[in-house]
Amino acid sequence: MQKINRNVVLALLSLTSLVFLLFQLCYYKFYLSQKNGASFSKVRGSQSGQDSTRWHVVRKFLGLISSHNIPVYLIDPLILGLVDKDIEQIRSSPDGPSPECKYFCAPRDFTTFALLDKTWKHEVGLFRTAEKMGFQWLKIINKDPRLDGMDDLSGMEIPLHYIFKLASHAIHVVVFYERSGNFLWHGPLRLKQHMDRKFVPFRKLHFGRYPGAYEKPELLLVSIDDLKVQIPKNPSSFLEEMSHSRFLECRYREARAFFQLYPDDASLDAVEFRKKAKSLLHLSALTLNNLGVKFWLSSGTCLGWYRQCNIIPHSKDVDLGIFIRDYKADIIPAFQKAGLPLKHKFGKVEDSLELSFQGEGDVKLDIFFFYEEDDHIWNGGTQAKSGKKFKYLFPKFTLCWTEFVELKVHVPCETLQYVEANYGPEWKVPVKMWDWKSSPSNVQDNGVWPIDEWDNVIQIY
Amino acid sequence: MDEWKPNPTVKPHKKRSWYLAWKYKLMNQRALRKLCQTGAVLFLLVTVIVNIKLILDTRRAAYEEEEESAQDYDDEMLNVEVPRHPVNNKKVLDVEVYSSRSKVYVAVDGTTVLEDEAREQGRGIHVIVLNQATGHVMAKRVFDTYSPHEDEAMVLFLNMVARGRILIFTIKDEGSFHLKETAKNVLKSLGSQVAPFLSWRDMWTFVGKKGGEVYGEKHAKSPALSTWGDPVLLKTEVHLTSVEDAECHWPDTELNRRRKRFCSKVEGYGSVCSCKDPTPIEFNPDPLKDNKVFDVPVAVIAGNRPNYLYRMLRSLLSAQGVNPQMITVFIDGYYEEPMDVVELFGLSGIQHTPISIKNARVSQHYKASLTATFNLFPDAKFAVVLEEDLDISVDFFSFLSQSIHLLEEDDSLYCISAWNDQGYEHTAEDPSLLYRVETMPGLGWVLRKSLYKDELEPKWPTPEKLWDWDMWMRMPEQRKGRECIIPDISRSYHFGIVGLNMNGYFHEAYFKKHKFNTVPNVQLKNVESLRKDNYETEIHRLLGEAEVLDHSKNPCEDSFVPDTEGRVYVMFIKMEQEADFTTWTQLAKCLHIWDLDVRGNHKGLWRLFRKKNHFLVVGVPASPYSSKKPSSVTPIYMEPPAKEEGAVAVPAVAAAEQT
Repeated sequence: MQKINRNVVLALLSLTSLVFLLFQLCYYKFYLSQKNGASFSKVRGSQSGQDSTRWHVVRKFLGLISSHNIPVYLIDPLILGLVDKDIEQIRSSPDGPSPECKYFCAPRDFTTFALLDKTWKHEVGLFRTAEKMGFQWLKIINKDPRLDGMDDLSGMEIPLHYIFKLASHAIHVVVFYERSGNFLWHGPLRLKQHMDRKFVPFRKLHFGRYPGAYEKPELLLVSIDDLKVQIPKNPSSFLEEMSHSRFLECRYREARAFFQLYPDDASLDAVEFRKKAKSLLHLSALTLNNLGVKFWLSSGTCLGWYRQCNIIPHSKDVDLGIFIRDYKADIIPAFQKAGLPLKHKFGKVEDSLELSFQGEGDVKLDIFFFYEEDDHIWNGGTQAKSGKKFKYLFPKFTLCWTEFVELKVHVPCETLQYVEANYGPEWKVPVKMWDWKSSPSNVQDNGVWPIDEWDNVIQIY
Repeated sequence: MDEWKPNPTVKPHKKRSWYLAWKYKLMNQRALRKLCQTGAVLFLLVTVIVNIKLILDTRRAAYEEEEESAQDYDDEMLNVEVPRHPVNNKKVLDVEVYSSRSKVYVAVDGTTVLEDEAREQGRGIHVIVLNQATGHVMAKRVFDTYSPHEDEAMVLFLNMVARGRILIFTIKDEGSFHLKETAKNVLKSLGSQVAPFLSWRDMWTFVGKKGGEVYGEKHAKSPALSTWGDPVLLKTEVHLTSVEDAECHWPDTELNRRRKRFCSKVEGYGSVCSCKDPTPIEFNPDPLKDNKVFDVPVAVIAGNRPNYLYRMLRSLLSAQGVNPQMITVFIDGYYEEPMDVVELFGLSGIQHTPISIKNARVSQHYKASLTATFNLFPDAKFAVVLEEDLDISVDFFSFLSQSIHLLEEDDSLYCISAWNDQGYEHTAEDPSLLYRVETMPGLGWVLRKSLYKDELEPKWPTPEKLWDWDMWMRMPEQRKGRECIIPDISRSYHFGIVGLNMNGYFHEAYFKKHKFNTVPNVQLKNVESLRKDNYETEIHRLLGEAEVLDHSKNPCEDSFVPDTEGRVYVMFIKMEQEADFTTWTQLAKCLHIWDLDVRGNHKGLWRLFRKKNHFLVVGVPASPYSSKKPSSVTPIYMEPPAKEEGAVAVPAVAAAEQT
């Protein structure tokens, strides 16, 4: 009896073990397929061309929006990436039927479209029609950042994202708003308490982790996979733009608190200086953008943005930073052409370069060139009379867009570290007496220029 | 190497005995099988456990990933939504109403919905309208029926209230002196027994349903002329009806949903909430051909006068060429009712926390509104600025569309305004005629973005300066000699009677008789002649053809201007230097036009109409047009009346514009 029992137990256990083994295999396969975002059954469909779920959902969606006269354009990075490869062909034959489904049939969770808020206001009825067509939808609204900078205005919340879901595919519509500074802005996607966190796998969205800033794109109507859609005229530059589109809102609330502590200087001098500094900044931005040189707000101008969302009236100059790798010899002539004569030039391209231009009415434009090392970034300073060199160290940073005095400009994304490196932990307290050689908390002595180089590295006009 | 030597103290025989035991065991088949079996069982068990664990783990991991997936996207703020009104399933409301000489209050279910014990204020009959299904306050009014005409306003209001609403009345101080028969009859028809006999300084409270039952009434008669009736306190219960009964059954459209939301919250807007034949809330006026102001944002500056706002938005949305998407209503304060009105029309509204007081509050509200407008519409080069107490002419946008290019191209222009300060019924005639004036009329005007952003915004008066924004804008430091374009016949009409710098007397004297264009699609004449230099040519041409009036007559007399039509006349008045307006002010006074300060002048020249003739007034010798004066003519001088000590208090000059 005992023996039989034992054998039975053994057999049973082996069986269970086998079942588990099989189960494990299945599970693994399932897990893998989920990870790739592909379901195996759909792959077969894409062979014959256009019977993939995604293609159908996109077609339905395009039907929906065209019936409500909503002009959207395609900004899906994966599709635009594919489109970009064949852009010549697509441009040349805008109407030709496509032999196979190349773009809209790759199985993905999302297809992303952009919607310009300005071109559309009537959402009346859109959602009802969408529901009738079988779409489930989600609307993400939030505060209007264009009113954020204003004292105590509370407007209606604005829609930032829409998601339309049908079957296993979802359409993500990113709403773009025009902002002062002539650019487009989209908001972050943040779910409110009561929202369904599993409505779609939000993590896989290409837009919405951060707000973003974009130029207004030129659009092109194309037919891809037999679907007529608008796409950015130059997909590759759009994708390039997208890769560093992160936008930082100014810290308006903190700025207001700052002004509570230190009331703003409303004297005529301050008003005049701000006006001049603003126009100088606009002119500099125009000049550098035309040259294609990337720059950011540095030193006092950056502090003004970060601390008070405005130009510091007692700062007396405008400071910009440029990576030395972006240096171009045309910078000086371009500024001179724009009516800003060179005031002085310190250092050389290889070391501690710094340019100063004379703006209108005593406002100076300082351009500091930044040198990247393995673990830090620095820029240099030079004292004209002694030939002493200084070095200002900063932790590494990346660049983000922001809106400042009606301009779209770069600032270091890690602004706090940047400002703290420069101004120390007491940066919140306004200081009127500032010595660039000793006040910064990140300044280091960096030797003296050899006398024979002085003519070159210390040029004052 | 020494360390690696085996320990010599270990006894070899012990090791061997272990080995032997092993050997013996291995030899034993049964033992071996048993061992294998145990091993296998153990192994299987372990596999099972590991498997189960694996499954659980992957499950959890997958679950966590899903959970996490949304985490980045969580709103950092906990938006706990607080319902605006607590859900109330109660079927009966306790209502308390108090009436006395110096205090009135109304409490519904223990919540005070009206309390007024301010001195010298709130005299008359207070009326509160409650929703019969929810018990929410839908309207609150006070009619000072001690003063004339207020009873008519009350009748008008009561007639507008929908049937079935609950009405609460209470008197503070005095409410019967000018309560006429009609009004008393209306109150009687509501079920009041006392109303017909209400008399001097009686105290009275009444709660009833419009067109239905009476829930209670109390009255205390005044014993003598010099004393008031005793305070009365009425406590009663009101039975609520179902929501369905309290609502109209309009077809379910987007518009009617807005209407329904509005009508269930507020009362006193008349036919917009009528069940049978509601007045439309969408107007679809004819579009304008080649509309140059379609993309110009419109900022409506509003306070807490929702009935005004309602009237204003109706006229604005009915104007040809209006683009509702460009309209933003800026409400100074967190008032619900104006916002309800904005939502009724499907427009966007922004509320502004009031900063400072009185004129400075208005001024700060203007600044915030203008800044926000240009933020919201960064592409806009202009903004149209309107106020909540204006009627907008049907051709308002057509007028702007035809003239806006001047503001863009002519630097000597400060604004385009729809309002002619001197455009009264008897002094304005030609809807197609435009003027250039050195003053800034406001009341419906266009602001250039560059002017605002570069000049006005940075130095806008700060909150502690109690300045009027419009007076500030008129100061030479801001205006810098620039002019505004205005029409002869105004494209806006100022109907506000209550306001910061406004009262009934003032309105009657200066605003009521203002001419307002009602003709659609007026084609403006000679728009190009409004440019700086062209305008001078035009004026010289006009003066050249003008007939000089008889300066021996009294210019205030009607006979000063001959009984003709369509002629051009000119008169010359004394004006010693640029700021000498002595004679002009007297002339304006007798012509019954704006005389509180100088408006509508252009280089010492005023243009208006008298008896349908174009009538020019030139100030000599200050005006450069003085040269047109024939040498034989002596400019008319009019003496100001001798100033009496403590004479007429002139109403605040700033006045009208902002209320």
